[in-house]
Amino acid sequence: MFLVRNGEKQVNECSPLPSIAVHGLTGCAGELLVILENLEKLIPYVWVSSFPFAQSRNDDDDRPVDIAFIEGSVSQPHDLARLMKIRAQARWLVAVGNCAVWGCVQRGGCRKEPVDSMLTATYGADSPIQALPSTPLDQHVRVDVKLSGCPINSTQLLAVTASLLRDHLPYITSKPVCLECKLRENACVLIENNLPCLGPITAGGCGALCPTYGAACYGCWGPSEEPQMEAMATILQEKGYALDEVMGRLFAFGAPDELFDRVKRSVPQA
Amino acid sequence: MVEEKSKKIEIPEICRVEGHSAVHVDIVGDQVKSVKLDVFEGTRFFERLIVGHHQDEIPHITSRVCAICSTGHVIAAIRAVEKIAGFVPSSTTSRLRELMHLGMIIESNSTHIYALALPDFLGFEDVHQFASQNKDEFKTWTDLRNMGSAIQTVIGGRPFHPVNLHVGGFSSYPAMDDLQKLKADLRVKSELAVRTCEVLMKFSPPVRRTSEPVFFALIPDGEHYGYFGDRIKSTSGFEASVDEYKTYLKEEAVPHSHSKRSSVDGEPIMVGSMARLSLFSNRLSQRAKGIFQATELAKGDHNTIWNNLAQAIELVEAFDRAIAIIETLEETKQDWDTFEKRQTSRTKLGPAQGSACGTVECPRGTLYHYYELDEKGNVTAADMITPSAQNTYRIERDIQEVVSQSFAEPEDDARDRVLTKNLETLIRAYDPCNTCATHMVSVKYSP
Repeated sequence: MFLVRNGEKQVNECSPLPSIAVHGLTGCAGELLVILENLEKLIPYVWVSSFPFAQSRNDDDDRPVDIAFIEGSVSQPHDLARLMKIRAQARWLVAVGNCAVWGCVQRGGCRKEPVDSMLTATYGADSPIQALPSTPLDQHVRVDVKLSGCPINSTQLLAVTASLLRDHLPYITSKPVCLECKLRENACVLIENNLPCLGPITAGGCGALCPTYGAACYGCWGPSEEPQMEAMATILQEKGYALDEVMGRLFAFGAPDELFDRVKRSVPQA
Repeated sequence: MVEEKSKKIEIPEICRVEGHSAVHVDIVGDQVKSVKLDVFEGTRFFERLIVGHHQDEIPHITSRVCAICSTGHVIAAIRAVEKIAGFVPSSTTSRLRELMHLGMIIESNSTHIYALALPDFLGFEDVHQFASQNKDEFKTWTDLRNMGSAIQTVIGGRPFHPVNLHVGGFSSYPAMDDLQKLKADLRVKSELAVRTCEVLMKFSPPVRRTSEPVFFALIPDGEHYGYFGDRIKSTSGFEASVDEYKTYLKEEAVPHSHSKRSSVDGEPIMVGSMARLSLFSNRLSQRAKGIFQATELAKGDHNTIWNNLAQAIELVEAFDRAIAIIETLEETKQDWDTFEKRQTSRTKLGPAQGSACGTVECPRGTLYHYYELDEKGNVTAADMITPSAQNTYRIERDIQEVVSQSFAEPEDDARDRVLTKNLETLIRAYDPCNTCATHMVSVKYSP
């Protein structure tokens, strides 16, 4: 793949530029918006082959692309079918946003109640609607890059794209929010303000946004690398939260099952 | 007996709308037998997954229903919890929330108008063509959208899924300098909103529905045009408190869609910009009112396509109102702007037990958030009714009326192609947000 600058030149179907596709499965369309809003920065370097959110044509799914960005979780059979098709056509597959990387709040919800029961309660017992327990993309296909965020950081999005255009897998850290918070020299809201801040176990990238505004991090980017979940659970319990409240907070925004099970096993029942 | 000819019109996926939806029209002879708007966005069961979470967590979780109207979902949730707690926010907090909401209106309306609706009228097919061949419009959209995100970033911390809005107030007040910069920027860009109206006034609607819709909107708090309120009003003379929503708004699951369908007295309703203008145009700012009066809308022409123009008029209003709010914040700065940078306005509310409905007018119409909280302030039941769900039935009615009229023209492939394209334009004018629409309801209504 070559990096070609488009400049003012009209690009067409035979564009020498690398191609990208932008797809949304089940999510809030936040990442689609971030990509749409950064499009003017991407367009000199890439040909947008498919972006159903922002185009009229409806027939582009079959074309091979260099980079496919996918937002959203797999939450219905239709999502899974589309994911398979996109994977088969893409050289690099980038999972963008918490939904695609961890499953976000819909995955948190699946831990509280089985999907079948939610479906029956919402649409009635004989509804033909099909729902799957919400899962991140890597449970179904190979994912080359995982870029979490809720929403994703646009600088990281551009850096990931630039890396891939150079045939280079980007390095994305998921150090805790606390690290960024210390760099901003914020007072610790967990200690000083006694807030249930999830900064110690949440992946940074947001720039420690919530604590910078004096609020508690609520975990929207998903778990950091090697999250000390058990210690975090103990701190919250010491602050007076009941076990189900602690689990609800720690896992509201999606995390792998292994982590959930591990914490569930280790935390002493109050 | 001659068998009647039957056919179907299928639009397998409507592009340039938020989320995923399809249209199926069944025609037998010269009659439209059924119209089904199928929203096949995956369901996420928000009303179920919020159960057990604390009142302070609600806005941050419900925000994820939809990115582009996340500010609306956050404020609706906050209003519901504060209503249960009997808490009345300070006037500074209310002003900042309104300013935040106007940021969303500017970002969402301009994105819908330029990136989603305008391609039908300017004749480009995708964003690539938009950016390279319609540079002026692309630049206008970028400027307007950035204005909306700048407001939401200054007040809320980021352009969507705000971190600074909480039950009880803000965790930090914005800096006065940042507000003043916003004001200067709003003054410069406000002309773009007027220009947007001028562009949209020129396009005549390609299709026309034949019945007059019933419009519903919140009666705005205060004297001015606005988006927050606790009472609903319709163009058929209906008025009620939103806490009684279950008595007037009927929601039912339909087998063909993941979105529930709302109706009032068995009939469709329409919510959104055109509904608000139909009911409250007399409250618009001077400048927005002047523009409104020069449009077909003021003459009572409620063609669906004019909803795009209605959104543009609201852009002008939003610019004027946002400037006015910042001026008031400047005049009252002794109340809130202290030397301490990160001053919190947040009142820590104790557990609120009870139930209430919080409502706001989102870009696409009235949004209801209803919660029941237990003695610890944890959610025991929730219900959300989004604007797009309220509009679904009316969209289906519009399609039926437009398809029925098309039978007057001789049947051929070209007619059907144009019809399909126009139906998409029609649906897009509602600015349907299917990511929102699919996250309906745990409360079941008996048939």
